[in-house]
Amino acid sequence: MKLNLGAAASVLFAATLFAGPSIADVCDTPSTLGDLGKFDGEVITIMGSMEGKDEEMLTNTASCFEKATGAVVKYSGSRDFAALIVADLRSNNAPNIAIFPQPGLAGDMAKEGHLVPLGQESADWMAENYGAGSSWVALGTYEDKDGNEDFYGFAFKKDLKSLVWYSPEQFDDNGYEIPTSMEDLIALSDQMVEDGNTPWCIGVESGNATGWTATDWMEDIMLRTTTPENYDRWVTNDLPFNSPEVLKAMELYGQFSRNDDYVAGGASSVATTFFGDAPKGLFSSPASCMMHRQASFIPAFFPNKGEELTDGSADFFYFPPFEAADLGNPVLGAGTLWTMTKDSPATRAFFEFMKEASAHEAWMQQGTFLTAHKGASLDAYATPTLKKQGEILSNATTFRFDASDLMPGAIGAGAFWSEMTAFANGQDAKTTADNIQSAWDAIK
Amino acid sequence: MTRFFKHLILLLIVVIWVLPFLALVTTSLRSETASKTSGFWTAFTPTVLGHRFGTHDRDNTEPFVTMSGNIFERLNEDKESFIVSGEVQSIMFTGRVPDPEKPGKTKLIRQLIYAGEPMDVRDGDFVFQSNGDFVWTFPEATAPKPKNLDAFINQDPVFGTDAYVEVLFENENVPNALISSFIVTIPATIIPITIAAFAAYAFAWMRFPGRDWLFVLVVSLMVVPTQLAFLPVLQGFSGIASWATALNAWMTDCEATKTCQVASKSFASLWITHTAFGLPLAIYLLRNYIVGLPKELLESARIDGASHLKIFTRLIIPLSVPALASFSIFQFLWVWNDLIVALYIGPADSSDLVFPIRLQKQLGTFKDQLHLLNASAVISIIVPLIVFLSMQRYFIRGLLAGSVKGG
Repeated sequence: MKLNLGAAASVLFAATLFAGPSIADVCDTPSTLGDLGKFDGEVITIMGSMEGKDEEMLTNTASCFEKATGAVVKYSGSRDFAALIVADLRSNNAPNIAIFPQPGLAGDMAKEGHLVPLGQESADWMAENYGAGSSWVALGTYEDKDGNEDFYGFAFKKDLKSLVWYSPEQFDDNGYEIPTSMEDLIALSDQMVEDGNTPWCIGVESGNATGWTATDWMEDIMLRTTTPENYDRWVTNDLPFNSPEVLKAMELYGQFSRNDDYVAGGASSVATTFFGDAPKGLFSSPASCMMHRQASFIPAFFPNKGEELTDGSADFFYFPPFEAADLGNPVLGAGTLWTMTKDSPATRAFFEFMKEASAHEAWMQQGTFLTAHKGASLDAYATPTLKKQGEILSNATTFRFDASDLMPGAIGAGAFWSEMTAFANGQDAKTTADNIQSAWDAIK
Repeated sequence: MTRFFKHLILLLIVVIWVLPFLALVTTSLRSETASKTSGFWTAFTPTVLGHRFGTHDRDNTEPFVTMSGNIFERLNEDKESFIVSGEVQSIMFTGRVPDPEKPGKTKLIRQLIYAGEPMDVRDGDFVFQSNGDFVWTFPEATAPKPKNLDAFINQDPVFGTDAYVEVLFENENVPNALISSFIVTIPATIIPITIAAFAAYAFAWMRFPGRDWLFVLVVSLMVVPTQLAFLPVLQGFSGIASWATALNAWMTDCEATKTCQVASKSFASLWITHTAFGLPLAIYLLRNYIVGLPKELLESARIDGASHLKIFTRLIIPLSVPALASFSIFQFLWVWNDLIVALYIGPADSSDLVFPIRLQKQLGTFKDQLHLLNASAVISIIVPLIVFLSMQRYFIRGLLAGSVKGG
């Protein structure tokens, strides 16, 4: 009997070892959680698109709320979230909270009257306590049925997009230096080609969202070739898609992605390579590419699921700006928007919970979570990697949200994606831009 | 001669249908790296695969003049299964050497080094043999940084059940999904077939006004696509659920424990939906079978004083076993493989997800964990396979049954 217990204990020990920080640790944050009230046994349902590891971290973070208030949080995540939430909202099956990965759909749902406003108080709180707060408030503000603007979307989890991933060992072996300007980056890419290496891995295939990685590239380059004001005008189409500024950015992206020497597998492979498989080229044996531009979530797709960052076989640097352009340090990012779809006192308490620095820190400790909350302690970041990303965020002179997420669904999740895929397949920049612009004209 | 061609074509069809299954089973038994880097058909013969190994551990900083080791030992250090064995063919060497054309500058070279040939690694002499042994010699004692090298190994076939163990025993997702799928599928097969048998008897042998028109209506319902009905069906369920919640609050003392809420998306919603969408075909199939039973049999039963219920239970049911069985296979397979109805109408708690949703989730988040997906897919195939094989003789008879009318 004693032996059995010992075996069970060792199994438990092993389980906690692999689970990373246990739930108790997660809630043990530098900041203390304020009083949120008691909601014993009340159920809060949350729906979102996060699955797998993100889902685990979300439920761990929510468990801190459960412990503090006695409420029960039930999360269900599906990659078909966008379709499911629409059906659920329209058939009176709304969960308490819906987490929208893109503001466009949240805005549509607000217009149909399915979202509950969070109130001016929350908007004011966010403007004050988030870095670049007013832009986050603007992101979560939509029109309701009667055309009145209200604050609905609480931005909670941030992603950083302007990152270039590489293998320090490969850079070491080949004697490459981290570039600090776009001019250097292009020179480095040319150097790699000369050495017989392939600089970039690019893949834009992503099922029915194929093309989104290409739009991220475009947006990052837009921020580096033209002013943030022009970027904002581009998002609202005050700056047409076929204007010289946008065309210039697209052509520059083409210099990277449509160059057979630059891309592993040749330019023609870009459209058919799954975005999650693309970074594997950095670690393949022998390495098929040297660099990969992708958002902060991508280590989950590395062969060892991101362990590469801890053992030093992967690292990243900031996708640098042109020295000559003098546009500061622009950063592209995204975030999830948490909306109230069914009101209840416990749900309101959950939104109060998300204002607590402790809630942010709880997730920061687990990884893949970046926050704009000024009160959250930077020491809470789980890894030096995240801390470095946090630093990039704080060094940024300009922060802009993913443009394709801000554009109307038919463009940002439609024509922009599909036309950029066509661009990857060889369509020229002018036609691509004209096609997107005429798709936009059609929905005006 | 024609017979030969027939057999040839038959063989071809069998191969086309069986090949993907073989590929799936083979892949599910291979290691993650092997299945990602080479096709399943290479699994049975020695194949050259690239492996990266480090010369020594990072924390090993003891200076040495000569270090010897074994590539296979380095590769298999942390492994308990999928042990790499075979012979090392070559190592891809990447590094900088002085450029002969541009004095003072270095030049990157990449070169395949074969067993026995020396190569310059971190200024030391590195020689390896095809059995994996390597010797790394320096002119004087040094403590070099570890170097990762890419070895091409002609690897012996190796199989393992790791993926199955991981899927079935290391977390409860797949076992839970298996149980949920049974909870959904068994009632969703039995309920429609019970209702349909009664209805089919009525349509075949009872006389009532409007019978034929009603039958035409039922048959025409077969063309209604499930997807079209999601929104109204969901609205209906949410109406029923809020009514049930109110009833629950009135009848029981659930308010004290805050458990009054009746979920509108549940296993029961799935049973009802699958029943409703399965009924038209079930009634059509069974009615056509039952109408073909010998009229004399039923008439003599009636003369002997048997009631409708008695005729149904004593005569119709035993005689309709082939048709019932064939329909239950249809319904079972359809419900077992169903993804979209379960996604929209089924319970969303992660412990209640049915198998197809679990598979889809594995594809979604672990598209890089294809080996787990393969193992789960094989497990999900086994159940319908058992059902089909055990009932197939009825299936063929039952399919033919509806087609011959008379009596």
